[in-house]
Amino acid sequence: MRTKKALISEFIRHLYVKIVLGITACLVLILIVATVQAQEIDILLKGGHVIDPKNNINSKMDVAIVADKIFRIAADIPASASKKTIDVSGLYVTPGIIDMHAHVFHGPDVNSISANSHGGLQADAFSFRAGVTTVVDAGSAGWRNFPYFKSQVIDRSQTRILAFLNVVGGGMVTRYDQQDVTDMNPEMNAYMITRLHPNILIGIKSAHYWGDFTSVDKAVESGKLANVPVIVDFGEHSPPNSIESLFMEHFRPGDIFTHTFSEHAISETTGGRESIVDVNTRKVKPFVFAAQKRGIIFDVGHGAGAFNFNQAIPAMRQGFLPNTISTDLYNLSMNAAMKDMSNVMSKFLAMGMGLQDVILRSTWNPAQVIKRPELGHLSVGSEADIAVFNLKKGNFGYMDIRRTKISGTEKLEAELTLRAGRVVWDLNGISAPEWQMPTSTN
Amino acid sequence: MYKQLNFKGELTSVFAVPLMIGLLFFACSSQVKAQDIDLLLKGGHVIDAKNNIDRKIDVAVKAGKIFRVAADIPASSAKKVVDVSGLIVAPGLINMHTHVYAGSNPGFTDGTSSQLPDAFAPRAGITTVVDAGTSGWRTFPDFKAKIIDNSMTRVLAFLSIAAGGYSADKAQENIAEMDVQKTVETVNKHADILVGVRIGRYDGTEWTPFERASEAAKLVNKPLFVECHLPMYSLEDQLNRMRSGDIMTHAFENVSERMTVVDDQGKVRPFVLAAQKRGVLFDIGHGGGGFWFNQAIPSFKQGLWPNSFGTDEHRTSMNSGMKTMLNVMSKYLNMGMTMPDVIARGSWNAAKSIKREDLGNLSEGSVADIAVLSVSKGKFGFVDSGNNKIEGDKKLEAELTVRAGRIIWDLNGLAASPFK
Repeated sequence: MRTKKALISEFIRHLYVKIVLGITACLVLILIVATVQAQEIDILLKGGHVIDPKNNINSKMDVAIVADKIFRIAADIPASASKKTIDVSGLYVTPGIIDMHAHVFHGPDVNSISANSHGGLQADAFSFRAGVTTVVDAGSAGWRNFPYFKSQVIDRSQTRILAFLNVVGGGMVTRYDQQDVTDMNPEMNAYMITRLHPNILIGIKSAHYWGDFTSVDKAVESGKLANVPVIVDFGEHSPPNSIESLFMEHFRPGDIFTHTFSEHAISETTGGRESIVDVNTRKVKPFVFAAQKRGIIFDVGHGAGAFNFNQAIPAMRQGFLPNTISTDLYNLSMNAAMKDMSNVMSKFLAMGMGLQDVILRSTWNPAQVIKRPELGHLSVGSEADIAVFNLKKGNFGYMDIRRTKISGTEKLEAELTLRAGRVVWDLNGISAPEWQMPTSTN
Repeated sequence: MYKQLNFKGELTSVFAVPLMIGLLFFACSSQVKAQDIDLLLKGGHVIDAKNNIDRKIDVAVKAGKIFRVAADIPASSAKKVVDVSGLIVAPGLINMHTHVYAGSNPGFTDGTSSQLPDAFAPRAGITTVVDAGTSGWRTFPDFKAKIIDNSMTRVLAFLSIAAGGYSADKAQENIAEMDVQKTVETVNKHADILVGVRIGRYDGTEWTPFERASEAAKLVNKPLFVECHLPMYSLEDQLNRMRSGDIMTHAFENVSERMTVVDDQGKVRPFVLAAQKRGVLFDIGHGGGGFWFNQAIPSFKQGLWPNSFGTDEHRTSMNSGMKTMLNVMSKYLNMGMTMPDVIARGSWNAAKSIKREDLGNLSEGSVADIAVLSVSKGKFGFVDSGNNKIEGDKKLEAELTVRAGRIIWDLNGLAASPFK
């Protein structure tokens, strides 16, 4: 006869077995469901080295895409679970690159700097082939011509185009228009951003102003009303205004100083921009570190005249790194030392910045600066904007705007670019099937 | 005797001094001349089909022109020397089929489907682009003012027989606007830019548009450039109406709009080969849908070679299998065409076909349009318009592009000085 104790223990054992079986059944069910789901993967990027600074990923991982979203990131997602698998082994998989400073308000006006003119380039011609999926136009349009920018460029572009609105209503037409303080209308700027185009407009641009701080202050005023950052090209003051005052008194934390590494010959007559590295001692000015600590954002904005190794190399050696890497793409910079975003990123590799750091400053950092935290990373559920880079090895040269050169042993080349889950650039056809000679052909 | 000698000596010196001065002057002046070389490309392998050069030789540029092409031109004779050893030095490339009337309208004409020439040409070694009829007699002046006169790249053009060019609307098919006289007048007025007449899009069955384009081309003694969007014309009828020197673009397309050049058995159709024999030229016109390996590879094997590597540059072709003209040229390198043949079709052959023998060569005295190219070795893939891929082990890349003596592209800072 069994004891009561034994009966209880048997009951518990049975219960235990039932629970285990139940859990197993549940697990199997979950697995089946998961497998069914997994077969719905549209594109699997397999075997690549993922660098996703936001999510702290820097390792070999597979990336699965369903429709236009990131579905899963994990080691060894089976190819059988996907309709299409692209072998990206030996390549780096990163969030789609964000070029935070470009001019893409392309149009026919030959007399305008970059509003509806040749100065602005077609985004799709430069973005995808450099791994870029989002470009931010730096104030080519103001509130008055932004509707044209939107209808004739932004709405027709495959590249995601966001924009800083110029503090001047007419945008970047001529240098003289940029001086018109009566056309700097904070209420109108804020209205345009918050009410009309909050999905596209992410900030305010002040540029090319010759006077005091009026243009910057009007931009900041607009920025406060719309709760967006301002980006400042502090270029042409005669005599130059104090950048210390700009950083510490006029800027809010989160406001952006672009053309960080420019070095102008400053004269009484033509003015210029005070540089962040002292031209005599080649030391980063102490308040620059303090400003960055305060939350001021330093953007590269390479351009045709705004990137000088004399500034960038000492600054980097002294521990000062730009928050964001960007091109200042426009007609004069495209064929000069700048070339494209991947070239500018590679230039920072050549100057000694680590690859992860370069990616951070071209993805998650700019996304945060422009307050678009849904961009610049590969989190599950986010839009599948992805760049796949080949890190070429060899002897490469990188120039600054004075046509002096440094050499480097690495160069980033965009192999594959996906925008919202679609392959929009495939340099070597890694997503394409092999061509077969038709059987009837001899 | 002494006096005599002295006299003789004096006499000699009378002649000797001016002679020596003359010699010195000559030496100096030739020295001055030599120091006037603005740019010396040293140590490169020159491929110049016109001048039959395919060897290591230096190229000197002076005042925007090719000054001298010779072995071992001393570096000391030039203001600037660029070491191009290990690289190919070719005439500036000519892209025979582009759409560069970029603007803000929908479509190609003054439109967002066209590309700015300077945005894609210098970085691909191209110094001359030929616009494929994006403008017509009515729109050409605007095209010239906005794009042609404002580009670093040399822009030439075929003029469309359609008055507007290649606009998105049906108006371009209005026969009443296809004016031979106005087309001829425009071409003659801008003979330095307009290189022929183009028939581009017509959905009807009557041959009037084709015949008017052909008539205009004949009257200006320039080629007719035939695009593919002519669905009711048979390929054979089109080729039969083309004269020697006329150009059929999109040669290797495989789309419903036009019969393919290769038949279902993989044979190039005999009437196509006959047209080629008669002197009809075939341009690639790669585009987004105009280049298929199942056409190009059998054609290449059976002798139907493209005469030029037009890319059909536009908004939707640029990021597809086409990418750049060098990518298109690299496809043929990997299909088995030799480097000199590839370079010739990218430069001299193209120049001849548009009767611009001043271009596409490195003859002394011609404009210094130069492409310095590297051949990367590795594992590359090349995709056609059907998204099929072939693999290859070599790929062309533009290191340096010179336009009228000026460096307009320098990929790795070959001509730059080291940062100190």
